Amino acid sequence: MTSVARVAYRTLLRLAPRDLRAKHGPEMEALFVADLAAARALGRRAALGVCLAAVADVARRAPYEHWRRRGRPSAHVRHEPLLTSFAADLRYAARSLRRQPGAAALIVGTLALAVAANVAVFAMVDAVFFRALPYPNAARLVDLNEQAPTWGLDFTGINYADFVAWRRTARTFEAMALWDDAGFNLADDHGSERVSGQHVTFDMVRTLGIAPILGRSFTQAEDVPNGPNVVMIGYGLWQNRFGGARDVVGKTIRIGSAPYTIIGVLPANVTLDGPATLWLPVDENPNQEGESYSYEGVGRLKPGVTLAQARADLAVAQAPIWQRSDTSHTVSPRVMPLRDRFVADYRPMGAALGAGVVLVLLIACANVAGAMLARSVARRREMGIRVALGASHSRLMRQLLTESLVLAVAGGVIGTVVGRMGIGLLTAGVESPPPWLHLTMDTRAVAFSLLIVLVTTVLFGLAPSMSARRMGAAGATMEGGSRTAGSVPERRMLDGLVVAEVALAAVLLSCGGLLVRAYLTLRDVDPGFRPDGVASVRVSLPMATYPTWVTQGRFFEAVVAGVAAIPGVTDAGAVTCPPFGCHEGMFYAAEGAAPKRPGASDQVVLTRRATPGYFAAMGITLMHGRYYSAHEGSPTGFHPAVINATLAAQLWPDGSNPVGKRFVFRGDTTARDRMTVVGVVKDVRHYGLTRPMIGGLYLPLTTMDSTGSRAQFTIVAHTAGRPEALFASMRAVVRGLDPELPVFAVQTMRTALDHSLAARRAIALWLAAFAGIALCLAIGGIYAVLSYVVGRRRREIGIRMALGARSPQVLGLVVRQGSVLMAIGLVIGLPAALVAARLLSSQLGGVSARDPLTYAGVVIVLCGTGAIAAWIPARRAARVDPTIVLSDAT
Amino acid sequence: MRRHWFFILLSLSAADRHGSGIMRDVLDLTNGEVKLWPVTLYGSLDELREQGWIRELARPPADADDNGRKRWFRITAAGRRAVAAELARLQSAVRVAAARLAHGAGEA
Repeated sequence: MTSVARVAYRTLLRLAPRDLRAKHGPEMEALFVADLAAARALGRRAALGVCLAAVADVARRAPYEHWRRRGRPSAHVRHEPLLTSFAADLRYAARSLRRQPGAAALIVGTLALAVAANVAVFAMVDAVFFRALPYPNAARLVDLNEQAPTWGLDFTGINYADFVAWRRTARTFEAMALWDDAGFNLADDHGSERVSGQHVTFDMVRTLGIAPILGRSFTQAEDVPNGPNVVMIGYGLWQNRFGGARDVVGKTIRIGSAPYTIIGVLPANVTLDGPATLWLPVDENPNQEGESYSYEGVGRLKPGVTLAQARADLAVAQAPIWQRSDTSHTVSPRVMPLRDRFVADYRPMGAALGAGVVLVLLIACANVAGAMLARSVARRREMGIRVALGASHSRLMRQLLTESLVLAVAGGVIGTVVGRMGIGLLTAGVESPPPWLHLTMDTRAVAFSLLIVLVTTVLFGLAPSMSARRMGAAGATMEGGSRTAGSVPERRMLDGLVVAEVALAAVLLSCGGLLVRAYLTLRDVDPGFRPDGVASVRVSLPMATYPTWVTQGRFFEAVVAGVAAIPGVTDAGAVTCPPFGCHEGMFYAAEGAAPKRPGASDQVVLTRRATPGYFAAMGITLMHGRYYSAHEGSPTGFHPAVINATLAAQLWPDGSNPVGKRFVFRGDTTARDRMTVVGVVKDVRHYGLTRPMIGGLYLPLTTMDSTGSRAQFTIVAHTAGRPEALFASMRAVVRGLDPELPVFAVQTMRTALDHSLAARRAIALWLAAFAGIALCLAIGGIYAVLSYVVGRRRREIGIRMALGARSPQVLGLVVRQGSVLMAIGLVIGLPAALVAARLLSSQLGGVSARDPLTYAGVVIVLCGTGAIAAWIPARRAARVDPTIVLSDAT
Repeated sequence: MRRHWFFILLSLSAADRHGSGIMRDVLDLTNGEVKLWPVTLYGSLDELREQGWIRELARPPADADDNGRKRWFRITAAGRRAVAAELARLQSAVRVAAARLAHGAGEA
């Protein structure tokens, strides 16, 4: 028992300074043990009291003893004022770093690079994953939508009648609102422009919890069919067009050629989806039930309400509608956190980039650690001399600490500044991020990377003082120049750092390689049309001046004819929904097919109106039959249709040739709407190359009637030359027909295609960049360590060569050392890369996470560059001249 | 002067002692009020030595009974002066305080 107490006390005493322990340790132990024995005779309480008092004694006195020793290194050294010595340290640090400007710049540069990448990437990660949306009590905001699994749709959009039922019945919501993105032709004396905006239900402002800067929001009485023409304008429009004038409320602007009264001004960056310049009420009729599912919804939950409660609540609200018109519950409400709806696209990117950039930071730190460690061994002699001249260890440590701090602060500050500038680059390629996605520096991420940098530099920067202390002044000065290859722990640590770098680089290279390959594979996917040489512009007709389908149709016929007449244009056409553009879904059934069983799946079919010239202009491949001709079909007569391969297989699964077969709108068997297949075309990847195509069809404009009126078309034109050259003439054609009409979405189809892949490309490029950085750092690490080892072993190599070793043998010796490190790194890194790649699999498309080609490439690249990195110092070693090395006294 | 310095010097002014001897003597001296725990005791002994107020004996006294394993300490002339000065300071403080308190009591 006594011996246990003695050991415990001895352990406790380790908190006291070493010299006090060395001198008085046994006596202090004896004293304690005697005290304890005496107290034990008095009982357990007394013994416990002694133990507590002993602990208190150490706790109170040990810090003082440490402080006393640090404050007064020794009796005869004059105690310098701290600030003076700090200034001296700074001067000395600057001098010592200037002596090796290359090494210092390399360390600072490496740190800055890693910090910059972290600052930039974490600005995005933070915005996507963590930062609260810029609304009051944003946690209570939820996304509302509807889902229809049997239609193959996770999000159908919201039906207005359903929404009205929810708003009336639901008890768990404070407020809910709908919105629908829309474009508007905004005209004034200076000309016309196309602006994006939204139709919103009247209580959108209350739901989001925002307040208009000026004026007011809509009233319920304004949000009705044929309600008054009122509009709220966005902050940007208010500033740009009205110069921020406070008397803007009450003024009139022309939207779609009709006058609208401005009733309020919205704050900046408040809209949920896309920049909104204008807000108009939806003006829907709540009593009209329809099949249209086009709205997005947002709700504000009452405090304390969970998602599950909200879901149950909406199901109750939906019940009467199910009973009345949807007994199989085809469409049901869905509720999810608002953030999830918007960041879904950015999430894999944020996660991949975040992980990648942390790996880069780790590799950079390993690299810097290695460099500082190598530097420390090289400086052992200097440290020895300084100790011999009377520098205390604490003084040396402070000196080295200052040097490390200079490096860390320089790297950190440069990195933060560069990273701050780089934030914009991250989203440069990404299609319109939501307005609330503020990409600003994340303080926590900056603090985190600076902390890691600081810890690394300080920890490894102090290494020289450790070795100086271990060896003592005499050892350091005498052995400094001639030791073989550094002490064993230092060598081990250097080797370990290189292995870690290689392993981490292997992970990054594999992931970057897989993503680049996935992107390249994606670029090879056949989009179903010829993207080159096609120019496209969009035109939208206002109802005020083009009220009927006849006038609208006549206008677009004139536009297409005008564009086709432009010199150099081989084909021109118009379509309602161009690829990657919009979506309009309908349901169809083959004529004579068995009626759909309730609950059976029913695929939505992408329905487009297109002029015959569209197929040729877009280069869409015809598989069977023919295209419809310009004057074929009428609203009341023949309905020709061109369908895609997927729809053909869907309507006639037996694989027979569908040309000449007929199909109908589902549930509608009147002869009027019976359509006849005249041709089958290859699938056009309308939703992007990463998503599967659904069934789709094209109908001619000739069969449109008043109910099918569409005021918006995209005009496409094909040319053998540069499609960009067509834009001006296409604009001129539209302007010639109607000077008030803005032309928008002006782009080539190649641009549209590239744009649809922008997010994938951004991830691939960034991770490839990180992988490149990682490779450079790891290879640099191998080179540095081997150079250092060769430098230290010059004497040994000289002796070997004097004893008969040949250059190739020496070469092999060094290269082998590099290869072993590389091999260990790969053995650790490749399995880790496989695991990481599995997490990436959603972004890999058709490329397997185990793609052997990529991994083989990684091994070849790492080994190849590693061999070069090893070769240079190895050759230096092989050229060692024994006579020079051995006669050199140091 | 710190309280435990004063008592250590006081204890050594009567005889040479080792650490645990000082501890026990101070405990007796103060009727158990001042107990010097090990780290405080030996830390203070080092400090006093650095001050030049005590010194460590090269070898234990002939009559020591601890087989020469303990370090023995002796007060120096400077140490005696220091403890005398501290005693004078304390006495003057006591005098002033007593006078003030007696005066105050008279007034009340």
